[in-house]
Amino acid sequence: MASSDALPGPRRPRPLSPHLSVYRLTMTMAMSIVHRITGAALYVGVLLLAWFLIAASADAATFAVFSGFIQSFIGRLMLFGFTWALFHHLIGGIRHIVWDSGYGLDAPLRDQMAWATLIGGFALTIVVWGVGYAVR
Amino acid sequence: MAEHPSDLRTPLGRVRFLGAARTGTTDAWFVHVTSIALIPLTVGFVWLILDLLRKDYNGVRAELARPIPAILLLAFVLAGIVHMELGMRSIIVDYINGQSRAWALAANTLFAALLALACVYATLRIAFT
Repeated sequence: MASSDALPGPRRPRPLSPHLSVYRLTMTMAMSIVHRITGAALYVGVLLLAWFLIAASADAATFAVFSGFIQSFIGRLMLFGFTWALFHHLIGGIRHIVWDSGYGLDAPLRDQMAWATLIGGFALTIVVWGVGYAVR
Repeated sequence: MAEHPSDLRTPLGRVRFLGAARTGTTDAWFVHVTSIALIPLTVGFVWLILDLLRKDYNGVRAELARPIPAILLLAFVLAGIVHMELGMRSIIVDYINGQSRAWALAANTLFAALLALACVYATLRIAFT
């Protein structure tokens, strides 16, 4: 492929992001990875919301199928995972907005914010599930 | 570059056109705009779901047919799906190259569009029937 090598631009393979293994793991890096993983999980998890809305828009029998699934062990597990991913990604997103604004980037604070994302995500999940079981 | 031992180009010439795609700013902007919208919308959405937990089918229908829950749901779904489409797009361009990247990007957009259509249709159907 000598001829294509002589050409600049899109014919040459474009570079990919550096692989994770070349860096020492830090808390901010770990939370960056988890932010991406929870984002991808929510991408799939929105199918549950779509199923809920479509079932509710259909009829009582269709809704009962969704209702039965979401109340099953697997359904609850998926909903719990969705809740945690949602809250973790929410707090992580707020952290990223703060960082993008130029605040909280100094050494102790950025790690504290990363820890706050992890702890806050679990805490909010447990609180909301506690409220959920209390009200229903 | 090891694979081009006879490359006579300057270092600058070798790296030109290999950098940023120069089209990411708009995407990054909309990721941020939707993320800001999603902060209150997510709180409202979780509140709505907690409220729906103790209702049966008719109760869920009645609640979702009210204006504020319906508008909240539509806003959450639309901002959320635009946000996730852009997020998945950045994951795809980070890890996939070449022809498969184009297919993955197309699949991502089509999936998000179908999901948004389905959710909006279902929400409006609940609200208006």
